[in-house]
Amino acid sequence: MERHQARVFSIAFRILGESGTAEEVAQDVFLELHRVLPRLESDEHVTAWLRRVACHRATDALRRRAARGDAAAEEYQDGMQLRPAMRDFLPLMNRVEQLLLTLPPAQRAVMLLRYQEDLEPEDIAIELGMPQATVRSYLQRAVKMLRAKAERTLKEYSRG
Amino acid sequence: MVEPIDRFEAELKEQLQLREAPAGFADRVMARIPARREGRHPWAPVVRWATAAVLVGAVVAGGVEHDRRQRIEGERARAEVLLALHITGTTLNAVERRIQADGASERSQQNAEGTDEQQ
Repeated sequence: MERHQARVFSIAFRILGESGTAEEVAQDVFLELHRVLPRLESDEHVTAWLRRVACHRATDALRRRAARGDAAAEEYQDGMQLRPAMRDFLPLMNRVEQLLLTLPPAQRAVMLLRYQEDLEPEDIAIELGMPQATVRSYLQRAVKMLRAKAERTLKEYSRG
Repeated sequence: MVEPIDRFEAELKEQLQLREAPAGFADRVMARIPARREGRHPWAPVVRWATAAVLVGAVVAGGVEHDRRQRIEGERARAEVLLALHITGTTLNAVERRIQADGASERSQQNAEGTDEQQ
């Protein structure tokens, strides 16, 4: 568990933007892993399973939060600005993590698998069960959106 | 020379290094595993109902078997009583017939003796 806990927690935290729920989700993922472990054949299989389930569970938790009317869950709809509810968490987060929370949840998951887990788009498509074209489109749009936001808010990312 | 987009993507990778889970995370997960196994195992209700069904089935089957054996024992005892009664009845009839035969023989002998004396 020590080998994988940082990966699972990072995915949950960066999709949810909040440490408490991220830990709950990460714990649930490991409990589920404990149940299915006899069916997983290799360490690579375990890693891929953890990535996939962490992404799905965190996205589900985000949807449940949205259904309860929590403004933070709908952060991406705000466009360019983080809402006040999220500002409480900002001191704990780096700038990229803050910007990620302004993306739609599916794009967050794709971006994490690409830049945190260093997976190629075709591998992301397999892990998340999405068409490759969708993954590439999400990546393009997300990077473009983040760069635009970074240019606006963080001068060091400016292309000029 | 790194292109701006590459610099940005490199910065993304740099800032998205893995975060450590909160201290004590593994312990908290391990503490939940036995509770889940004992308290919320998804098959637990099925196993409980199956066990109850098997026990009830065994009790019912045992009762049916007990009734069947009692009925067979009863039929055997009845047959033995009937046989004994039949044997007894046959014997009594034979004895009665013999007594009657002996009585008839004595009466005819007496009648014969009486006729001789009158002559």
